[in-house]
Amino acid sequence: MSDLVETFAQNAAAAGFVVHRGVAPAIAGAGVSRALYGVASTGSVVLGASPDEPRSRHLLPEVHVALLREDALVADLAALFRAVGGALPSALAIVTGPSRSADIEQRLVVGVHGPREVHVVLEPR
Amino acid sequence: MSFRVLDERRLAATDAATLRLLAGRTGAWAAAGDAEALRERAHEIRMGVVDDIESHLDRFVAAVEAAGGRVHRCASAADARAAVARICVDAGARLAAKSKSMLSEEIGLNAALEAVGVDVVETDLGEYILQLAGEHPVHIITPAIEKTVEDVASLLSAVDGVPLEPRAEALAQAARRQLRQVFERADVGITGANFAVCESGSICLVTNEGNGGLVTSLPRVHVALLGMERLVPTLDDLAVLLQLLARSGTGQTLTTYTRLITGPRRAGEVDGPEELHVVVVDNGRSRIGSGPYREMLACIRCGACLNVCPVYRKAGGGAYGPVYSGPMGAVLVPLLQGLERERALPHASSLCGACTAACPVKIPLHELLLELRRDLVEHGVASRGERIAFGLWSLLWSRPFLYRVSTSLARRGRPLGALAGPGRAWAAGRELPELAGRRFRDRR
Repeated sequence: MSDLVETFAQNAAAAGFVVHRGVAPAIAGAGVSRALYGVASTGSVVLGASPDEPRSRHLLPEVHVALLREDALVADLAALFRAVGGALPSALAIVTGPSRSADIEQRLVVGVHGPREVHVVLEPR
Repeated sequence: MSFRVLDERRLAATDAATLRLLAGRTGAWAAAGDAEALRERAHEIRMGVVDDIESHLDRFVAAVEAAGGRVHRCASAADARAAVARICVDAGARLAAKSKSMLSEEIGLNAALEAVGVDVVETDLGEYILQLAGEHPVHIITPAIEKTVEDVASLLSAVDGVPLEPRAEALAQAARRQLRQVFERADVGITGANFAVCESGSICLVTNEGNGGLVTSLPRVHVALLGMERLVPTLDDLAVLLQLLARSGTGQTLTTYTRLITGPRRAGEVDGPEELHVVVVDNGRSRIGSGPYREMLACIRCGACLNVCPVYRKAGGGAYGPVYSGPMGAVLVPLLQGLERERALPHASSLCGACTAACPVKIPLHELLLELRRDLVEHGVASRGERIAFGLWSLLWSRPFLYRVSTSLARRGRPLGALAGPGRAWAAGRELPELAGRRFRDRR
């Protein structure tokens, strides 16, 4: 389990997340979501649409914060899909970093349509 | 059609883009562990579908309907255009927001929607730039690579009515602002589908910008265009292909936003489309699937073959036609449009095989190109002049006496440079080799 946590933290940081341990940052105007899962091998947070989790919450604000329980970490995509199994939400978003584009002269810019700043808060069991 | 080398500016832009993508790909593959085993697995998964599209499609359709979506099966591009137009009209739509879809380019969707009074706005930054410019994509994953920051500034400035600074950051922010209104006002969201999962009826959509998410969250109707071959049997198979798609295309471990859409909005949810329509497009695919080129249907549109291709990198995407380009386009377009209409494309390759080596699903692209050339000749699709020329050549050089005469004549007066008619145009752009003063066979 602690291996998964460290792998996730490393890959999430590489993907462009600001990784927090335990304490959520207080950022005015940020969208805050509860992640269903985290994928260690890619550093992704997984959000499922539900009455409590609108699809656009992680896309419309400039800053997004995902809360992720450490026991919701899975090793990789295959493990994620096994965990979700037959209970797919109407929309499942696997998010790996901030919104980005390199469409203008191959220069990487963030915050094109979605958030420019993304945080993930790892919550110990 | 003739292939021209790009001008210097566009050549440099294409070089920079393809090299950046290639470097990313190389790094990502090195970190992927057993990449070859993944490719093998991906090839098996895709060919399993290609060899039996119908039964996979039946399973997918049943699963979409069970999840509350509607499926429209369309045999031709015209049927697909009409189906999407009808959905928009029935929904009373005035504005459609689109996420990037090469299939929508293939069927010429935008003009058909404009014709029934629906405004269509592309929301992928590169596609939006091209739509403002009135141009077609030149690369299947990074469509506006030939545009400079100054080009983009002038296009986006025209929308705002005030001049924008030619800096990528500022321009991306301007596009964000312009398109945010489109997402919020649009009645219909139109997307492609990177994959569709038979067992769950899910549409899988990947974008780096997040426009795919917004297009499928805010408008009240979602139309997903699906090439009938883009199916994978299970979620487990999807996991394999997703890993390959991003690594091969941009060199990312995973595309920033990977979205699985399973049916429309459910009870109690506050956003998401009330209607989900999946428009399944054949447009020649079932014909290709039952013939000798069916491996081409395994393609996952990652763009890796474009980035490694020496012909693509010098000629640019525009040389191949308005939609698909590079080696995958050189194979696919003649298959979709008919070889007799696209005679030049099978020749747009040095047959070096870099495309085949780069393909994450192991399509033997350069072998398929060679097969297409054989078809051109055997089915008489090659031009009459070409057949006469090669016939004459074969006649001359299969007889020792005529061979000696022709090579002896060839040494006099650099005859290639003196070619008349179409030959002169061919020779004008080429440096012709100096011939030896004495033939090898005369050196006794």
